[in-house]
Amino acid sequence: MSDMTGSALSRRSFVKAAGAAAGMGAATALLSKLGISGGDASFAYAADGGKTFTYAIAGEPSVSPNVVTTSDRFGLMTLKLVYSPLWMYNADGINYFLAESYDESDDHLTLTVHLRQGVTWNDGEPFTADDVVFSYEAAESDPEANQYSQLVYDEGKVEVTKVDDNTVDFKFPFVSADAAEMISQFFIMPKHLYEGVTDWENNDVNAKGVGTGPYKLDEYATGQYLSFSANESYFLGKPNIDRVVFQVITNENTGMQAIQAGEVNAWIGTPTEIQQMSIEANGLTVTPYGEGRVAYLAINCKRVTDENVRKAILFSFDKKAIADAALLSDEYYDLEYTFLPTTSQFYAPDAVEKYERDIDKAKQLLADAGQTNPSFTIAYDSGNTLTETDALMMQEQAAEAGITLNIQAIDPTALSNAMKDENNEYDMYFGGYIMGIDPSTFYSLFGVDQAWNYMHYGDEYSQIDDLFNQGSTETDPDKRKQIYSDVQKAIQDTGAFYPLYSNKRLLVTTSNVKNIEEAKLVPVYTFEDLSKLDMD
Amino acid sequence: MAKYIARRLLIAIPLLLVITIIVFLLIHAAPYDAIDAMTNPKMSQETIDAIRARYGYDKPVWVQYFAWLGGILQGNFGYSIVSKTSISEQLAVRIPNTILLVLPSYLVAYVLAIVLGLVAGSHRGGKADHVIDGIASVLIAVPSFWLAMLLIFVFGYLLRWLPIVGMQTVGDGSFVDVLRHYILPFVTLTIAFLPDNLRYVRSSTITQITQDYVVVQQAFGAKRSEIMFRHVCRNVLGPILTRLGMALPMLVTGAIITETIFSWPGVGPYFMTAIKGMDYPVIMSILILSSALVILGNLLADVLNALADPRIRQGVIA
Repeated sequence: MSDMTGSALSRRSFVKAAGAAAGMGAATALLSKLGISGGDASFAYAADGGKTFTYAIAGEPSVSPNVVTTSDRFGLMTLKLVYSPLWMYNADGINYFLAESYDESDDHLTLTVHLRQGVTWNDGEPFTADDVVFSYEAAESDPEANQYSQLVYDEGKVEVTKVDDNTVDFKFPFVSADAAEMISQFFIMPKHLYEGVTDWENNDVNAKGVGTGPYKLDEYATGQYLSFSANESYFLGKPNIDRVVFQVITNENTGMQAIQAGEVNAWIGTPTEIQQMSIEANGLTVTPYGEGRVAYLAINCKRVTDENVRKAILFSFDKKAIADAALLSDEYYDLEYTFLPTTSQFYAPDAVEKYERDIDKAKQLLADAGQTNPSFTIAYDSGNTLTETDALMMQEQAAEAGITLNIQAIDPTALSNAMKDENNEYDMYFGGYIMGIDPSTFYSLFGVDQAWNYMHYGDEYSQIDDLFNQGSTETDPDKRKQIYSDVQKAIQDTGAFYPLYSNKRLLVTTSNVKNIEEAKLVPVYTFEDLSKLDMD
Repeated sequence: MAKYIARRLLIAIPLLLVITIIVFLLIHAAPYDAIDAMTNPKMSQETIDAIRARYGYDKPVWVQYFAWLGGILQGNFGYSIVSKTSISEQLAVRIPNTILLVLPSYLVAYVLAIVLGLVAGSHRGGKADHVIDGIASVLIAVPSFWLAMLLIFVFGYLLRWLPIVGMQTVGDGSFVDVLRHYILPFVTLTIAFLPDNLRYVRSSTITQITQDYVVVQQAFGAKRSEIMFRHVCRNVLGPILTRLGMALPMLVTGAIITETIFSWPGVGPYFMTAIKGMDYPVIMSILILSSALVILGNLLADVLNALADPRIRQGVIA
């Protein structure tokens, strides 16, 4: 017996020792690997000890950031730091970067853009008109380019030609009232490095991050962070902050704790999250800013065919009560009454039916339509607490007019896929959009045969198409205003499109972050020019 | 033994194929695909169709499956549809990060489970048993995401002892810095892995202690410690070794939730993002890896068991 015990013991201790050794070996190897990979960057950073701004982002850039195909928020934020556009076109107008000004030709077809002089790429090469022509032509040759639909039309493409080293002509195939917007927000890449590149996402140049922007990309640690250092020769002046870090935090609760603990300097929260936090005790600042995102309810015209019934549903809603329930405070939203965001200069709320709550009118419209106690399904994105609250409020309000709404939660992509099909199984659903500044950019959401016409307007509403077509070619500002005012009215009169609110993004910053106003908060990129931001 | 292992590995191949077919069909049964998640109102229908065609979505499901299988057979995991990055490159970075977190915490939990389980089981009904079993019962009911949030709240926010996010402070790749980031997810996982094994060891100790051979030993006047270490231990350890083998897939998918909460750059957040985006080449690659590990783990468990137990070994050879 003792023999057996002995051999068993030795075998057991062998198995155990082997397991432990293998485990330790792997762990040590991994740790050393880790140490080496982090080592280079740490050395460069530890040496100067300047200001570091850490911004929590809720995901990673979805593709290797490049000026042609990148279209996601975090990718565009990255591009905004490394590259510069000719100009930014936001609700308050044009802000010039690589361009200094532009002239419009008398026939309104050509924009002549005058470039800023003396700008260099951060590898020392001069920036010229060749880079501009090269970048726009790259976007025009790739249908998957983010800017493609703004540069290539059925009538032809925008011709980009170099006049001299500091001047470029953009010739549109037709008179476009929003030409300046169509060529805005597009980043210019260096021709001397990208010439010959065909695959915009997989190449060796993207990682070099040679741009004209305020920062240089130092390191992209997959799944962890992107780190940038200041471009000392930035043409608008040396950035105030030495280093910027985009820290990837996908879990929103973790992000909430990280900003409260001061582990990051900026983070985007929702009203409910802000309410749960100790904002003052932690010295945090909340800055709401608009992105012009319009949240709406769409009623499927192919399922709810009677215009009066649709209007009855809308008259039963109380928009402000819905927004208050979903967004908690009126500081965090603007109510919307037409398809254009309130910030648009074409916004015409007085021209449209606002559907202010009127239960009697709702009942009357139902009676006129010969309907008593109708019942509808309303679908919302299962991951979105805002639309969930919207749906619950609407259910309660509609019930007072004798209308039953059955709520269904659907996976977001599955829902938006179903919405594209006019024979989907839902009577109404929620949507939201951030479109351009010019109202013509909204056509794809409302035109009869347009892919994003979720109300499924048919030929009975072809007037909407006609108006949009007139508006996009009209160059007289007053006439345009009138046309788009008519479009807003026509869309509201269908009773199928119910704009709710544009909810603001809430930027939470730690107490040491300053100059947010100078850096200017804008849609998508958060900061229009991060070089102006500063820290104590 | 080698023949046995070879046979088992051969059986594993059709099993893996069946798993891939099921997963592929399930992904395609979803009401949308990766392209739907990528398109936006600015794209024309022609552009969307062109993108679909580029990724083979215009072809029948079986054609897509065989195209994908062909790639895998050549050792090519392919590219993510959403991010276009090479999946093997991503996994090569992320799997080591996951292993770094899972392996030590599993081993610590494993050793603790054996020690505490033996103590509790051998003192069945005693004070030690009550305490250990009580703690295990509570911990088994604690979801790991909740525990992780609690640890973050207390040690990261209230006390500010430890960092909350990621694997390292940007610009500081020192060992101490990584260690500080390591503690919270490590503790979370150790606690998550512990109760299951602990209760297992405890109950098999209790089963063994009531066996006839223990009574015989007691009748011969053997000391309690002698019975425990020489006899009971060996019989308890067999099934526990099996569990060690079966834990192999944990090395890839063992910490999905914990990693996501702590922003640990492992397989977890990558897998979660891929599922949300219906990025099927990524989902398939990770599932293939983890199901291969399940099969290998079972095999490993059997081999370990045979090594530890001469009765099984002889049975196998025969």
